[in-house]
Amino acid sequence: MRIFDPHIHMTSRTTDDYERMFEAGVRALVEPAFWLGQPRTSVASFTDYFDSLIGWERFRAAQFGIRHHCTIALNPKEANDPRCREVLDVLPRYLAKDGVVAVGEVGYDSMTPEEDEVFARQLALAIEHELPALVHTPHRDKLAGTHRTLDVVKESGIAPGRVIVDHLNEPTVGVVAESGCWMGFSIYPDTKMDEQRMVAILREYGTDRMIVNSAADWGRSDPLKTYKTGLAMLDAGFSESDVDKVLWQNPVDFYGQSDRLALDELPGFAPSAETFAGNSVLRGGGST
Amino acid sequence: MTFHLGYGTNGFANHRLDDALRIIADLGYTAVALTLDHNHLDPYADDMPIQVDHVASLLDRLGLRSVVETGARYLLDPTRKHYPTLVCDEPRGRIDFLRRAVRIAAGIGADCVSYWSGIRPSTVDESLAWQRMLDGVSAVLDEAEKHNVPLGLEPEPGMFVEHLSDALRLRDELGAPRLFGITLDVGHCVAVEPVDAATCIRSAADLLVNVQLDDMRTGVHEHLEFGEGELDLSATLAALSEVGYTGVAAVELPRHSHAAPVVAANAIAALRAALALDSEWVSTVDHPWLVEAEQRVRSEPASIASLFPAVGRKVGRAPLRPETDPQGLVHGTVDDLARIRLLTVLAEVLEPPSLATEIAQLYRYGDDAERRGVLRALAALPDAVVPTGLELVKDALRANDIRLVAAAMGSFAAQHLDDHNWRHGVLKCLFVGVPLAAVSDVDIRADAELLRMVGDYAEERKAAGRDVPVDAVTLLEARA
Repeated sequence: MRIFDPHIHMTSRTTDDYERMFEAGVRALVEPAFWLGQPRTSVASFTDYFDSLIGWERFRAAQFGIRHHCTIALNPKEANDPRCREVLDVLPRYLAKDGVVAVGEVGYDSMTPEEDEVFARQLALAIEHELPALVHTPHRDKLAGTHRTLDVVKESGIAPGRVIVDHLNEPTVGVVAESGCWMGFSIYPDTKMDEQRMVAILREYGTDRMIVNSAADWGRSDPLKTYKTGLAMLDAGFSESDVDKVLWQNPVDFYGQSDRLALDELPGFAPSAETFAGNSVLRGGGST
Repeated sequence: MTFHLGYGTNGFANHRLDDALRIIADLGYTAVALTLDHNHLDPYADDMPIQVDHVASLLDRLGLRSVVETGARYLLDPTRKHYPTLVCDEPRGRIDFLRRAVRIAAGIGADCVSYWSGIRPSTVDESLAWQRMLDGVSAVLDEAEKHNVPLGLEPEPGMFVEHLSDALRLRDELGAPRLFGITLDVGHCVAVEPVDAATCIRSAADLLVNVQLDDMRTGVHEHLEFGEGELDLSATLAALSEVGYTGVAAVELPRHSHAAPVVAANAIAALRAALALDSEWVSTVDHPWLVEAEQRVRSEPASIASLFPAVGRKVGRAPLRPETDPQGLVHGTVDDLARIRLLTVLAEVLEPPSLATEIAQLYRYGDDAERRGVLRALAALPDAVVPTGLELVKDALRANDIRLVAAAMGSFAAQHLDDHNWRHGVLKCLFVGVPLAAVSDVDIRADAELLRMVGDYAEERKAAGRDVPVDAVTLLEARA
């Protein structure tokens, strides 16, 4: 099984996860910029985080044979904090980078006027930088939030085919399917979606514009949920090629619109004993 | 230094000259081989001086370098192709034409005037033809001296001066005049020369003033598109780089005018593909995007902020020596080299304080590849930015991305980094697996303290039952 995890927060994960993901077939991923659990208090901590997404984490993933890409944005939750909002001014520098494949995660958390403004402004940035947009739908009041999201997307003028609306579930999938946007589903151990419900949605709506992710982060989550959804699809009678479409081709087609995906095998990659034996992940500081 | 890819206007015979030049420039060529003809800058037209000024300013606006070609078929005699020639009974018309071409070349700022001998008529014996060549070329050289325009004699299949060796012998007999150069058509090499084009390029080397690019088959003088004949394009272009050729290398497809824009587009695609095979091409040949980016940085230095991140997407990211250095740790990558070139241009247009600020910003907001580009460029920047460069090198040495660590330990660090930080940089390379080949001047700078540190490190590895890195062993043994 060939897997592209289109939404996973590797910053929060360990090298064990990278190893297991590679074993399960993950060869490429997208790490969206989001909040870190603990609120930030200044622009500087955003830029350090972004630097890590376009540098260190890309390098770390490469050690395990996985191509790392990211999306960059001010997330909806912190859009409400005036100390963070100034990060909008430095976004253009990051949106020009290699491996930055979308503006995201943008969207709503509590649907405040500040969130409205920041969401619209970042969709404009996506258009300006010719990037797709990754839109997060709120955990609370999800259906109303999804409707409002689609209205803002429509007003912005960005083509629906360049937008993915993420964290969908049974009540919200229908309106997004009609909108022409791509549909993202986060498969979680006990919140959001699970594998069986996902299979049911794929049966009802088909596999076009359908994207499945693990959205694994620092909370209770599982970076192999993409793989497990693939297994559930096969069990339910979907073909290998259906699975490949949902777990590889669809995310590649969507993020490929950025023209900044790198999917060739990593040069000289072989999980070498040298790298893994003495040191963990080139921590350098002396784990002898 | 670089050579310039161009296209010959004799392949655009059905276009107005202005249109042809614009199309050629738009396709990404940076040069043109201009064949003077009745409809293209006619040397006999009444308004010739005005045309010359017009073409000169158009070439300047389009950023095209040029050479003047004189192979028009019916310009001098409407009934006999290529007549008169330098070796026929009445060569004066040809000599007059070539002298006019010299003046036109001076007027448009062309690199040279290119010419051939013509076919020896059956009624003219070899020694007479040779004498006519000596006389005719001398007469044209007189004019060339006045305007300081080099002449490029092109050996042409079927003509009296057919082989490169003939042209070189003529030069010798004339006493190796300063402005006597060679025009080499690489397709002709395939067709009639005893050795391949790359070898011809090496034997003409410093005498080359103009190169024509096309494909051909052995024994058949037919100009073909790249890939249709037997030419090894990649090796040919590599040979031009190798001999340090800096002039025009223009595509010569005079029988493809009927489809000129398409043929010219295909040709540059083939040239780019062939250049990409030469891993060091970016340092020796102008990649069209890079040329444009350099021009933009020169005229608008602030544009570096948006051009710098785009380099990898535009020119590629491959390691320069993939066989021995697959990660580009020792020799760097194609994008490293392109970024060095952009920063070299930036250093020419910015005052040192602004340059230092810009370099720091590019590094601060750069991803791993951009930071590497800045680090590898430091050695090429003026001394005034050394303090800034040292801060960046120290920052990179705190990172654990081995590509940054490797890029930080190049010749800039060897020259400027203090002993303590430099020794720790070397030790870090051993720790994280950066080959010491990536560290400049290890032999010169390695001191007793570094050897003590490396020795302790080796002991620590042994105590843990682990291998000692080969580079560490080599370093210790060399100094034992």
